[in-house]
Amino acid sequence: MALNLLHRHVLEDHILGFHGGANPNHLSVVRRPVIFSVLAHAGREGQVREALAKAEDIAIRACGPSEWLAVSQTAGAEHVAAQLSAIPGVSLAEQSDGKVLMAIAGPSVRRILAKCVAVDLHPDVFAEGQSANMMCCHVVANLARTGADTFEIIVPRSFAGSVFEELTEMGREHALTASFLDA
Amino acid sequence: MASLITCPHCGTRPKEEFSIRGAAAPRRPSPAARDEVWHRYVYVRDNPKGRYEEYWHHAAGCRRWLVVDRDNLTHEVFGVTDATDHLTAEAGE
Repeated sequence: MALNLLHRHVLEDHILGFHGGANPNHLSVVRRPVIFSVLAHAGREGQVREALAKAEDIAIRACGPSEWLAVSQTAGAEHVAAQLSAIPGVSLAEQSDGKVLMAIAGPSVRRILAKCVAVDLHPDVFAEGQSANMMCCHVVANLARTGADTFEIIVPRSFAGSVFEELTEMGREHALTASFLDA
Repeated sequence: MASLITCPHCGTRPKEEFSIRGAAAPRRPSPAARDEVWHRYVYVRDNPKGRYEEYWHHAAGCRRWLVVDRDNLTHEVFGVTDATDHLTAEAGE
């Protein structure tokens, strides 16, 4: 495990200096999420999907047929790995140090994201709890709707800076603020 | 170019999320096939005008290979199937 990558967050240089309080439209960066990539073996997709839905403290994000991301902000990597590897017909790989998790929330969240993704995020179309891989700010991202007006974005670590800059730029007219979740 | 592709797994997506590989009709020859057969497969391809099937990779979405049945003259898309389903459907015929 590349622990030294986790000690300093990749967006540390992008969130510098004095920040006031969070505005209604806010982008928060989760410092140390646990993210696993989960694949179901051929023919086991249905069983694995059901078993994943039952996992505790783990949010499941859909990537494609028989592929998911398992995300946890509360449980440790060992706990998540133990839970996931107990499911029969599953292959998994830890991605925590290779992915960056951001949450964007606020009344204007859809108007901001409309400039970043080409997917219909209307509340009636993109239901709460739904997630999908899509292009976000020219980067392959996983976008999930976690609340009425809350979306979580998972991007590869090396692209996180560019996505972060573009998100904040697109949110400027809506007074989007950004900070680490624990700050 | 058809700008909206309805992926069977992800729904309607812009073409920027995909990368195109080429015609889906040619069948890969067996590894032991003669050089002429391989040459035809690799280099000698039709360039049809109108309706034809093409491999598209949903690189920014589900990362699945799809077969897009489209018209390269009118940009109309007639159908999108997963490449695996396309192969099994063809084998069943």
